[in-house]
Amino acid sequence: MCSGESGTWLEGMESKQSVELWSVRRTYRAAAREMRALDGVTTGFEAGTFTAVMGPSGSGKSTLLHCAAGLDRPTEGKVVIDGTDLGTLDETGLTLLRRERVGFVFQAFNLVSALTAEQNVFLPLRLAGKPVAPEEIRTALAEVGLADRGGHRPSRLSGGEQQRVAIARALITRPAVLFADEPTGALDTKTSRHVLRLLRDLVDRRRQTVIMVTHDPVAASYADRVLFLADGRIVDELVGRAGAEEVSARMTSLEARAC
Amino acid sequence: MLRGGVGLSLGLATVRERWTAFAGSFAALFLGAILVSATSTALLSAGPRLPDRLAGAQVLVTVPAVERPEGNFSPDRPWSPEQVVALQDRLAAIPGVERAVPDRSLYAQPVVDGVPVEDHRGHAWSSAALAPYRLVSGTEPRQAGQVALDRSLGRKPGTRVTVLTARGPAEYTVSGTVDGPGVYLSDGEAARLAGGVRLIGLLLAPGTDVAAVDSAARTAIGHDGRVFSGRARVAAEPLEDARIRWVGMQALTAMSILAASSAVFVTASAFAFGVAWRRQEFGLLRAVGATPRQVRASVYGEALAVGVVASAAGTALGAVLAPVLGDLLVALGFQPSGFTVRVRAWSLAGCFLVGIAVALLGAWSASRRAGRVSPLEALREAAADERPIPLSRKIAGGLLCVLGLAGAAVTATAGGNELVSFGLFTAAALICGLALLAPLIAPPVVRLATWPLGRLRGATGMIVRESALASVRRTASTAAPVLITVGFAVLVTGMTATTAASFDAARASVIRAESVVLPDGVAGLSDAAAGVGGAWSTLPTALYRVNGEAVPALGAERDHLLAAGLKPSQGSLEDFGGNNIVVKPWVAQQGWGLGQVVPVGFEDGCTVSLKVAAVVDDLPNSVLVPRDLVRAHDPSALAEEAFILGKAPDAVPGGLGTRIVAAEDYARVMSDEDDRLTWIFTVLLVAVSAGYTGVAIATTLMTAAAGRARDLVVLRLSGATAGQALRTVAVESVLVVVLGTLLGLAVAIPTLLGMRAGLAEQLSAPVPLVLPVPLILVVIGFCLLLAAGAAVFTARRAVRSQTDRSGD
Repeated sequence: MCSGESGTWLEGMESKQSVELWSVRRTYRAAAREMRALDGVTTGFEAGTFTAVMGPSGSGKSTLLHCAAGLDRPTEGKVVIDGTDLGTLDETGLTLLRRERVGFVFQAFNLVSALTAEQNVFLPLRLAGKPVAPEEIRTALAEVGLADRGGHRPSRLSGGEQQRVAIARALITRPAVLFADEPTGALDTKTSRHVLRLLRDLVDRRRQTVIMVTHDPVAASYADRVLFLADGRIVDELVGRAGAEEVSARMTSLEARAC
Repeated sequence: MLRGGVGLSLGLATVRERWTAFAGSFAALFLGAILVSATSTALLSAGPRLPDRLAGAQVLVTVPAVERPEGNFSPDRPWSPEQVVALQDRLAAIPGVERAVPDRSLYAQPVVDGVPVEDHRGHAWSSAALAPYRLVSGTEPRQAGQVALDRSLGRKPGTRVTVLTARGPAEYTVSGTVDGPGVYLSDGEAARLAGGVRLIGLLLAPGTDVAAVDSAARTAIGHDGRVFSGRARVAAEPLEDARIRWVGMQALTAMSILAASSAVFVTASAFAFGVAWRRQEFGLLRAVGATPRQVRASVYGEALAVGVVASAAGTALGAVLAPVLGDLLVALGFQPSGFTVRVRAWSLAGCFLVGIAVALLGAWSASRRAGRVSPLEALREAAADERPIPLSRKIAGGLLCVLGLAGAAVTATAGGNELVSFGLFTAAALICGLALLAPLIAPPVVRLATWPLGRLRGATGMIVRESALASVRRTASTAAPVLITVGFAVLVTGMTATTAASFDAARASVIRAESVVLPDGVAGLSDAAAGVGGAWSTLPTALYRVNGEAVPALGAERDHLLAAGLKPSQGSLEDFGGNNIVVKPWVAQQGWGLGQVVPVGFEDGCTVSLKVAAVVDDLPNSVLVPRDLVRAHDPSALAEEAFILGKAPDAVPGGLGTRIVAAEDYARVMSDEDDRLTWIFTVLLVAVSAGYTGVAIATTLMTAAAGRARDLVVLRLSGATAGQALRTVAVESVLVVVLGTLLGLAVAIPTLLGMRAGLAEQLSAPVPLVLPVPLILVVIGFCLLLAAGAAVFTARRAVRSQTDRSGD
């Protein structure tokens, strides 16, 4: 029922892409050898969808996320976020775009340890020089289930709580897209579930676009679409919510092919 | 809300939360603020002062002054005896002037209970009225052989007292006691023993208009002198006081500058270290939308927060300590006695601002580096240490080292004042160059120094060796402050000691003496003391050209001059004596050429025609005058030392205030007042710089040890005992100090050798390289203690808490 409705909406807005990658290539020079991390990736991420990016280590999934998020610049090709071509922006322009249109959640080291949870959530808006009503911060924390923990510093929060503060902070600017890099990598199973349900909920309720890199089939099973990367190329794709077993099977066959 | 405010408040929050990380910067800034505020308060208080003993004369008349270059305190030419009488008459005739009293001073040092008392200034009795000091008991000294003494000496009228004069000890009868310092002789005897008169004080009748007398006195003396009244009388400050004040000023200025620049250096390195360890956090800030500018602002915010607190606390403490510093300066001889410190609000406000500026300046380069952190660094696992050394750093370091070595070579051939500046330049270039190249130099040196460690059976040696090699950057940056401390200490103390030794060596080599007679508790050697055991000596005095310019001169004897084997380039030493003098070539070029007869003013104001008998290149002074001529015209002149050519007498006659040292020990005896001041100053500089770099050493080692907490935990989990883990840390910090010491010596030794060669060339005498080893060892020991202590202290927490730590 709910997903059906979401589906019709998606069909009607088919051209609305939050992030587009056009023939993105990223090479690194290491010890006089050229490493090809991304080898011509073209794909789009529709608004209001949850995409998981999977692949064996070294497949380029993190590089894909960095390029798509404007943290790193592609060697070749074009990245468009919310209609803006990143290639046309300078460092400050890129920073401003990240600040306004993009949210991040990392595996660890997510919060500024000197600031309280509330201050961490507030940080992107303060950096942008925007006034914020205290209720807005409280609402944002309440949304991730931390209404009563706002005054605590990261050192007094559990790993799961820290991750939820990071999600609240990523969403405070109402970004076009939320990037998550192994958001459950440092968490136990139960806390992981909690964080993943929270992400899924954001997509369903707020039509938040989420792009998540993970190596955990269970985490990927929360996504609407799973992209499989190997050697810097998209080699497979699962559309529609898939079970963890199915994702796992695809991964296994991918790794078998790689050998 | 202001945008810059985010950075600032973020910085504030960081400082509040992680104050331990800023302890190093705080300590450096705090120390710097104390030093700058205490020294500048003392500096601003150090104005000329009217001596107490002239305070009662409302108008002072002094001799005309010649233009002097900065730092030159040669005396002004005194009036001639006839002039004094004429001026005295003219001044006394001014209405309202009760008496015009010439100030006659001489050397007179009473011996109480066999020990010469400290105050050695004798005056004519009439001068006592200038203070005024009054008789407390007995009568005034009326004839030769009578003396009035300060009542604090405890001598009763009628008793006998020994007084050292320039001729030697003399017996006097105490005629009375006075309520002020000094030794007072009858006017007649004082006129015979004193040099010339340079000041006449006017004692006015009560209710006289001082301004009227001032202007009348100006008319009365015309160009023959200067007139001062009211506060302007401070111009009559004794030259010796002015000189001491000037030396003190130099010392304080140097210390302030050293303190401020060291604070910048330490703050800069502390912040650089902090930024390096927090790259991930800056990356995170960049990722969530902070512009490079906002990241820079947050580092400046941290600096500002630390700076404001440290500077306010330091300035306040400095103001409290300033009077103590004032007393210390007087005790050390850097300020004339009677110097008092006054605290001024505006100077403290200035110091406070300087402290903040220093903090911001220190954070400058670190903030730029923080601003360049890419947002991707938020995702990296840990701060990696294998960033290569940038080419620009290698080039700059290499250039500076080459410049330094070239400087050492130039120093070896330089002469005069250039010697010291070249030496300092060499040192600065080498220190900066080696600090820049340290990451390159460190691995081979560490490999060499730790080779035996790797062979040991225990694990500690191996771990230390490998971890020092693995993180070269850390090893190098912790060794850098040690390099600077040791290099600076060896260099500065070695330079001072070698320079002092070289001049003594030069003097001793001219004389070829076996022992030296030195003053002991007295102002100088009297004729009697300087003749002990057949010693010979020179009498320092000043000669005056017709234009009033002073020329330093020595009174010497012909026999000794001939014995010294001096070779005249013109004329003959045989003709020295009577009114015939010997000069150096530069004096000969200025109108005192061979065979010329020149009118020369002496210390007593008399003018004598002297004939130049010879010109000698390597004369110990500009001009040599026959000793008895000097004695006749400068009755208070004292020798600084006397040389015994043959065997030293077994017993020294008592009561002369002398001691005898062997010639080879002479170089090490800092008997000379200037040497003593320079030495104290040097030790102070070393102490201040060691204090600073000490802070730097402790900070970098504490930060490095904190950053290695995880390594230590791994070490413990691999089976190391807590003791073994801590020993690893301690040995590693010792290794760092050894590395720094080696590099420091590598800086100092070439510079000193260059300087020694230059000095030997200049003085044409072999110069010993004197290193004050105990002082240097103290500095190295201080570094060792601090490094090991700081590292172990920090590591202990990591080692202790590892059991209740889970993962992150």
